[in-house]
This record gives sequence, C-alpha cells and structure tokens, in this order.
Amino acid sequence: MKDRLKEFYPVFFITIIVFISISLLALTDSVTAEKREWQTEQKVMDMLKDMFPSMSDYTLEDDVYVLYESGAVTGYAYIAEGKGYGGTIDILVGLEDATTIKGISIINHAESPGLGARINEDAYKGQYSNLTITDSEMRFNGGKIDAITGATISSQAVADAVRTTALEKIEELFGKGGDENG
Amino acid sequence: MNDNLFVVFVTMALINNFILVKFLGLCPFFGISKNIGNAVSMGIAVTLVMVIGSAITWLINHLVLIPYEIRYMNIVMFILVIAVMVQIVEMVIKRTNLTLYNALGIYLPLITTNCAVLGIALINDTGDYSFWTSLVAALGAGAGFSLVLIIMSGIRERLDTADVPKAMKGLPIAFMVAVLLSLAFIGFGGIV
Amino acid sequence: MRTARFWKELTKGIIVSNPVFVLALGLCPSLAVSGNLDNALGMSAGVLFVLLCSNIIISAIRKLVPNMVRIPVYIVIIATFVTIIGLVFQAYVPSLYESLGIYLSLIVVNCIILGRAEAFASRNGIVYSIADALGASIGFMLALVIIAFFRQILGTGGLSIFGFDLFTLPVLGDHPMLFFILPPGAFLVIGLLLALFKHTGVLKE
Repeated sequence: MKDRLKEFYPVFFITIIVFISISLLALTDSVTAEKREWQTEQKVMDMLKDMFPSMSDYTLEDDVYVLYESGAVTGYAYIAEGKGYGGTIDILVGLEDATTIKGISIINHAESPGLGARINEDAYKGQYSNLTITDSEMRFNGGKIDAITGATISSQAVADAVRTTALEKIEELFGKGGDENG
Repeated sequence: MNDNLFVVFVTMALINNFILVKFLGLCPFFGISKNIGNAVSMGIAVTLVMVIGSAITWLINHLVLIPYEIRYMNIVMFILVIAVMVQIVEMVIKRTNLTLYNALGIYLPLITTNCAVLGIALINDTGDYSFWTSLVAALGAGAGFSLVLIIMSGIRERLDTADVPKAMKGLPIAFMVAVLLSLAFIGFGGIV
Repeated sequence: MRTARFWKELTKGIIVSNPVFVLALGLCPSLAVSGNLDNALGMSAGVLFVLLCSNIIISAIRKLVPNMVRIPVYIVIIATFVTIIGLVFQAYVPSLYESLGIYLSLIVVNCIILGRAEAFASRNGIVYSIADALGASIGFMLALVIIAFFRQILGTGGLSIFGFDLFTLPVLGDHPMLFFILPPGAFLVIGLLLALFKHTGVLKE
C-alpha cells in the first residue's frame, strides 16, 4: 500500500502545484481586473478625446463610437484595419459627418521603424484632418495623400483602409434614407 | 490576418521570420551543427511541435479558457501542452530512429524552452487568429525557421575552415552571419 | 562568513557569470527588447520579479519535489509568476506592457530562469538562492542596458527614458543610423559585445 502511494506521489505533487498556481492566478486576475479594464477604457477615451477635443461623452453602437458634446452628436469614430508591410495596422478613424474625415490615429502597427512607422508622425497623419472621404487616396492615384518616402506600402495601406471603411460605415450609418440616427 | 492563408504563410515564414526578424528560436540556430541533415530534422521536429501545439492550444484556449473566463491560465496551459508534446515527440523519435535521436541530442528536449514554439502559440492568441489561420501561421513559422537553420548549417561548414579572429570564434561570428542574413530577409518585406 | 558567501553568490551573476555575455542565455529577449532603454529596463524588472520569486519558491520546496516531475513543476511555478507580472504590468504600466508584447510572456522560456532554478535554487538554501537571483537579474539588466545604450543612441540619435529625453546628439540626432534599431543591428551590437567580452578574457573559453 505504501509503495502504491509512493508511486502516486509525483502526480499528486504536480497536481497540487497546478492547483496552487490556478488559485494564485485567479487571485491576481481579480485583484487587477478593475485596473486593467480602466486602462483599456482610458486608452479609448484618450484616443477619442485627442481627435475630438470638445467631446464630453461617447456610446458604442455596433463597433462605431458615437460621440457627444453636451448631448448633441458631434462625430463618429471607429477602428479600421489596414494591410501594412509588417502586418495589420489598427487605425482610429474619426468622421465629422457623412463626407468628411475628422482625422486619424494610429493605434497599432508593426511597420519598420524609420520607414513605415512614420505613418504615426503628425506630418503624415495630419493629411487626413478635414479630408473628404474620396480624397483619401494616394496622390498618384488621384487623391490627396502624399506617401512617406520609402514607405509607399504603409502609406497606401492606411489611405486605402480609411477610404474603404469610411464609405462602408457611412452607408451603414446614413445609408438608410440619410437618417443620422442610423 | 484572418483572410488570405497564403499571405499568412509567407508573412510568417519570410517577412516576420522567427529567427532573423522576431528573434525567436535562437538557441538551435546558434548551436546547429554543419550537418544539413540534422538541420532538416530539427526543422521538421520543431515545425511538427509548432503545428500540433498550435492546434491543441487553440482548442483548449477557445473551448475552455475563454468560455470559462480563465484566460489568464494561457501561459501555464501553453507551456504544459508544449512540454507534454515534446516528451511524446522525443519518445517517437527514440523508437523509430535512434541515430537521429542521438544526433539531435540535448536539442530535442530543449524544444520545450524554444521561444519559437511558445512564441507561435502566443502570436495566435494575441492576434486572435481563427483555427485554420493559426495552423497555417504555425506551418509558415516552422518553415521559415527550418529554412534559416538549413542556411546556417551550410554556412557553418565554411565558417569552420575560415580564418576567424580568436575573439570572434564561435558565437560572435555566428552573430555576424546573422546580421547579413537578417539584412537579406528585410528584402522580403512588401512581397505580399 | 555567511555574508561573504551571500555576496559571492550575488556578484558572480553580474560580471563573471553574466547570463547574457558569458553564459549566452536569454538571448531572445536581449535582441528583441534592447532597442531602447525603456524596454530594456521594463524587461529587466520583469525578469527580476520572476527570477526572485521562482528561485525562492523552488528553493523552499526543493526537498519535496520528486525528481521525475521536477522540470514540469519548475515550469509551472515560473509560468505562474510570469503571468502574475504580466497582469500587474497590464494594470499599472500598460504602455510598457504593449511595448514588450509577447516577449514579456516569453520570460517563461528564458533559459536564465530555468537555468538558475535547475543549477542553483534546487540545490541551495533560500537566502543564497535570493543572492543568486539578484545577481543574475542585475547582470541581465546591465547587459540589456549596455546593448540598448548603443542601439538607441546610434539608431535614434539620442537617449530617452520613461518619456524624458535625456539628450540628443548633434549630427546623429538628425541622421540616425536606422540600422541599429532594426533586427540586423541587434545582431551586430550583441555579436560585437560578445566578442569584446571574450577578447578581454572575461568570457572563459
């Protein structure tokens, strides 16, 4: 009987360890959960506020942030995904109204430092401020966006993503008979 | 990333090459012998563990961890799955090909601590890839890893007979080779 | 006598047995996060926490662990602490957490941690294991900071830490050598530093 128990010991031991591990992690998870959630919300809030400084509140409807200023709708924002050089580029696109882009923010990217990563510079991003949606196209394709030298792919990825998703969202939001409360 | 599987494969294998771009799986890279056969075997073994590992970890992640809201168990779970898998692969190789088993030596159990294997599981998790995308990503990552290993083992042979300064012998010169390979691989960016 | 041994175990990890430059362990994170000082320090903090905690626990239970399952047990313990520090970083320093990405989680397969556990903590008392952990962590941090120092200055023309610009160099600041913050640059800097350590005889070969 004792031998049987001895054989079992390793399995028993590691099971105990895994148990303790789960408990410890569950504890840490719950202790940090509130703060972590706050951080994500804060990040969204900061991004939206950056783009719409006069914004006071927002709601999330169907993946689109509807932004309010003292109760009235002041704009919309949503996250678009561009196919960049090094992977997906997450872009926060702000819409002024059905035809104008308020501006963009680059949330996430994996572009090359010094080249594609320059899409995060004001010089590039600034081109999207108060831009007509259809103008969100590379200059050599008829639009108004200048590419970053040596980073045509990253530059175009953003322009294309912004344009196509904006047209989609506008259709969703306003397409139904032009009703702003889509 | 969930769309074109071919793009996923090529991105993981070349553009985001695990060894030369993401710095994952360096131990076998620097320790690989000049025997190209061993490099191929190592590459296949690692790719196998990566693909099967990705499948199992994806399933456990999406069928257990996420629904029961214990996502924080992911690291513990991933590494345990990998450890078990490597044990199994080790046993299989030992039984079917003893010469290979001896040739790979300590590098076989070391696959457990190989950043590349855990790396692909984590990439699949943080990127929220679908099941098939995860598998293709793992396959691509493994292919890219194997490619670089094979290239390095070929170069290793030349290195051994080259006139390398004493301070550079061994690891440093291997790093210099990595500089050039890494530079070359940057050229792959933008092909998809 | 006890304090002398404590210091010995601690200082060995800093130069003589420096985990990165001498033992060549933990290379993956060293290359990946050594692009700038913030990442280097953040990663070092993470490694310090995990190494310290795991060394303490593993040393504490070393006489109870059955030999057959010791590696999986160590791995689970290390994985637990890595997850904990990940959650904590996510809650309190989210920008660092995002910057480090998967490399923070990859601490669990960092050979330094498992190496110290297997080579030292499993055979020595808690106090000395603490010394060992501190030494290796400081050595790791030193290595990472040195690498980041070169890569950031050459690659961006200046140094910044936690958002504060320390300085920007005159010529380099306008035309930094991008190469150094890209992957090949990492290989180059570390390769040359390894050669340097070897040449000055610090690396025993």
